[in-house]
Amino acid sequence: MTRRSLNGADWSAMVLAGSDHLARHAEQVNELNVFPVPDGDTGTNMSMTMKAGAEELRRKPQSEIGRAAEVLSKGLLMGARGNSGVILSQLFRGFAQAVAGQRELTVPLFAAGLQQGVDTAYKSVVKPVEGTILTVAREAARHGAALARRTADIGEWMQQVRDKAAETLARTPDMLPVLKQVGVVDSGGQGLVYLYEGFAAYLRSGASAPESGREGGAHVSGAGGRSADFRAASGAFAPGSSAAVRQSAQSKIDTESIRFPYDMEFFIRKTASASSRFSEAAFRKELEKDGDSIILIDDGDIVKVHVHSRRPGDVLNAALAYGELTNLHILNMRDQHRDLLRPADERPRAETEQERPGAWGEALGVEAASGVPAVEDPFGADRLPPGQAPHPNAYEIAAFGVVAVSAGEGNGNLLRSLGVDVVINGGQSMNPSTEDLLEAIRSLSVEHVFVLPNNANILMAAEQAAGLADRPVTVIPTRSVPQGLAAMFAFREEDSASLNKERMLQAIDRVATGQITRAVRDTRMDGVDIRSGQYIGIKDKTIVAAADDLGEACRKLLADLIASGDEVVTILTGEGAEESVTEELLAWLEDRYPEAEIERHEGGQPLYPYWFMIESD
Amino acid sequence: MNAAIVTDSTADIPRDVRERLGIDMIPLKVHFGEQSYLDNVDLQPAQFYEKLKASSELPKTSQPSPADFYEVFSRHVQAGRPVISIHLSSAFSGTYQSALLAKSMLEGEGDVTVIDSKSASYGFGMLAVEAAEMARRGASVRDIVDRIERMRKETKLYFLVDTLEYLHKGGRIGKASALFGTLLNIKPILTIDDEGVITPLDKARGQKRAFARIAEMLEAEFGANPLQLTAVVTPGDTAMADELIGMLQQRFDIRRFFRSEIGPVIGTHAGPGTVGLFVRSASLDGQETRA
Repeated sequence: MTRRSLNGADWSAMVLAGSDHLARHAEQVNELNVFPVPDGDTGTNMSMTMKAGAEELRRKPQSEIGRAAEVLSKGLLMGARGNSGVILSQLFRGFAQAVAGQRELTVPLFAAGLQQGVDTAYKSVVKPVEGTILTVAREAARHGAALARRTADIGEWMQQVRDKAAETLARTPDMLPVLKQVGVVDSGGQGLVYLYEGFAAYLRSGASAPESGREGGAHVSGAGGRSADFRAASGAFAPGSSAAVRQSAQSKIDTESIRFPYDMEFFIRKTASASSRFSEAAFRKELEKDGDSIILIDDGDIVKVHVHSRRPGDVLNAALAYGELTNLHILNMRDQHRDLLRPADERPRAETEQERPGAWGEALGVEAASGVPAVEDPFGADRLPPGQAPHPNAYEIAAFGVVAVSAGEGNGNLLRSLGVDVVINGGQSMNPSTEDLLEAIRSLSVEHVFVLPNNANILMAAEQAAGLADRPVTVIPTRSVPQGLAAMFAFREEDSASLNKERMLQAIDRVATGQITRAVRDTRMDGVDIRSGQYIGIKDKTIVAAADDLGEACRKLLADLIASGDEVVTILTGEGAEESVTEELLAWLEDRYPEAEIERHEGGQPLYPYWFMIESD
Repeated sequence: MNAAIVTDSTADIPRDVRERLGIDMIPLKVHFGEQSYLDNVDLQPAQFYEKLKASSELPKTSQPSPADFYEVFSRHVQAGRPVISIHLSSAFSGTYQSALLAKSMLEGEGDVTVIDSKSASYGFGMLAVEAAEMARRGASVRDIVDRIERMRKETKLYFLVDTLEYLHKGGRIGKASALFGTLLNIKPILTIDDEGVITPLDKARGQKRAFARIAEMLEAEFGANPLQLTAVVTPGDTAMADELIGMLQQRFDIRRFFRSEIGPVIGTHAGPGTVGLFVRSASLDGQETRA
C-alpha cells in the first residue's frame, strides 16, 4: 500500500498503532535498566506518556494534520512521565510546531517535523548526553531528511527511518560506556524504535505491527536482546543521570565559581509591532551569549524570562527591543551565597523577596487559585517583625507551598510533618505525570511552590510542570526521599524563595542516601559482582554492596555511608524489611558508632526494604 | 524608704536567696486533678517532677488572684514603701494582669510599679535579685527599673526542650508551632522574643548538633568575651543539661556561673528535660552587681 500523504485521521491512526506497539513492548523496555534494580520503568513511562497523547487524539479527532499534531502534543505534554516521557513529549511538540497550519502530511513535511522535534528535545535537555533516545531520534531524523529527496512513499520512508533508528540504537553502547559495561542498549532509544516500528507497520499495511516479540527491536550482539536504559531513566541512581537533567546549583557551592551571578526574572509585555518579529530562538541566542539557566515562555502578548547573566544591563536592553518590562527581579547570587556562609542573625532579612506576591500570575492574567481573591496580603511577611511567619487565614494566600513525590505512607507522613503540603504517591516503580505534578501545584493557594521530585527520573517532568504552572515554581532536584527530608528540614517559611532554594540545595549536599533492594539480574557494576536475587546496597548512585543476607548488605552499605561516625543516621524501613534485621542493625550501629545519633521510622516504600539517610554537618 | 521587691513563683529564685534578700514571692498554683498546690511553696521542683511522671494527665496551672497581690502590696504601701513587682511574661500567664489589678485597687495610695518581664524562670528571677540588691543599697525606683530593663535586654536566652509536646498542650508554643509535630528528631533552639513570646532561633537534627549550634550562636553574639552564665534545669535526669553546661564551660570564659531549678509551673509548660541558658557579657557588670 503506497501512501503519499496523510490527513489528520490517517496520522492519528498511525499514532495509535505506534502507541499500542510500544505498549506491548513496555515490559521489554523496562528490563533494559542499567541498574539491576526492580523499579526500571522507562518502558512504562514512555508507554503511558504515549497513551495519554493517543487518548487526547481519540477524544478530539482532527481531520487536519496540523490540528491533530497539536492535540497529540498537548496530550503528551500533560501526560509525560519520567525523563524519557518528557523527551518524547518534546519530540512531538517540535513536530507539531513544524506542521502547524497544514492539512496533509507529506514525506518532506514529516521529515521536517522529525527534525524540529529533535531540535526541541535537545533544547529541553540542558546537557544532552549521546547514546540515548536523543541520539536515536536525531540520527533517524537526519536520515529521514536525506531520504525525503528520494522517496515520496510515506510507508517506505517511515520503515527506513525506523531501520536507521534501530541501527543507531545498536551503537548506543559505543557512545555511552555504562551501557557497554552492563551489556545493554539504551532503553529510551529502544522505546522510540518500537514506536517508529508501530508507525511503519501501520503505514505499510494499514494495520498494526505484527507481534514481533523481542525480534521487533534492535539487536545488539552479545547483549542477549537486551537494550539499555536511557541514562538514569528509571533509577534514582544511574551514573550520568545528572547529565540530562538541569544542571544542579550544587555546583555553585564556591561563591566565586558562580559564573553568571545575576539571577534575573521579568516579563516582556510585547508591543504590537514586536509581537510579530519576536523570535524565541533569536532572543534565546542573544541571552546565551553571556548567560545560562535560560527559561523563556512565550505566552503571546507576554514573554516570561528567566536567566542567569553576567551583564544584566545587556539582557534588559535586549529585552526592551520587544516591549515594556514588568515585574523585574534581579538578585546577585554571589551575595546570597555569601549570606549563607554568614551566621544566620547577620544576614539581611527578606532583602531578596519583596518580589513574588502573585507576580507571575498577575502578569499572565491568571486568577489566584480556588477563587480566593488575590489581595495584597496586608500582613505580608516582610511587614511582620523578623522571624514571625505569616499566619494564613481564609483571606490570605500563603507565601510558599511544597509538593513532594514519595512512596510509602510513612515517608509521606515524615515529609508532611516537615511542612510538605501535597505528597504525590509514586517515585518507585510509578512516576507521576507532568499533569499530576501540575495539578498538585495548582491545588495550593500559595504564591510560590517548591517541588521535591525525590527521584532523578521525575526531575524533568517536575521541570516541565514548573514551566507550565501559573505561578513561580522552584524545583529542588532531590533524587531520593532522604534528600527531600533534608531539603525540608532546611526550609524556612519566613525566608525568601531564593534563600530557601540555596539552603535546600546545600542541605541536599550534606546528606548521603543509602538504599537496599534486590537485584533483578546478574551483572557486574561499580566493581561489585551481583547475582540476581541478592540484596544490593546503593550509596547515592553507586552500588557498593551485594550480599545474600539482608543484614549483611545493610551493614556493608552503612559502613560505606558513615564517614566520621558522628552523623545522624535515619533508617526508613520499607516493604520487605524484617524486624529482627532492623533490631540487629540498630544494635550494631550503636556498638560500632557510639557517637552517631540514630533514629528509625517506618517509611513503607515498596521494593526497598531499607533506605538510610546519613546527615553530616 | 527602700523599695520592696515582689515577684512570683515562676521566677524560680531559690528560697535561700529570696529570704536573704527579702524578696516577696506570690505563688502561682498547680493542679493535679482535684489536688491543688502552691508553686514552689508546698510543691517543690523535685517532688513535682516525680508527680508529673506518675500522673497520667497533664497538670493545670493558674495565676494568683489580684487579692494575693493586693495583700502584699498594701502591706508595703501602708508602711510607706514603694513596690516594684516583676512578673512572668504576660504572653504566658495572667499573673501580670492580676498584679496590675491589685495595683489599680491601690491607686492613689502608694507607689506601685508592675513590670512585665517578657521572660520566664530565672530570666526574670535574676532581675528581681538585682532589683533587691539595688533596693537594699537605697537605689531609687527609677534607677532600679532602668537598670533591670537594660539587664533584660543585655541577657540572651537560649533554651532547649526535650519535646515541644508540653509547650503545645499548654498553648505556650508561640512561634515554634511550625516545628511541632515533626516526626524526625528535631531539636529546636528557642528563645523568648521582645514581646515575651517563644520563638525558635534555629533547629538542629539531634541533641549534639543543637549543642554545637548554641555554641556557635554564643560565639557570634559574644565572641571571646568573658561571660556570666545562668542555667536553669528541670530536676531529675540532668545528664543532657550537664553535658551542655560542661561543654559551654570548657569552650567559653565563664566568670560567673549560677544554676537553678525550673519550678513546677514553668515545668508544667516546658516539660521535663528542659534546660535554659541566660547569658550576659561579664564585662557589663557594673559595680552595682555583686554576687
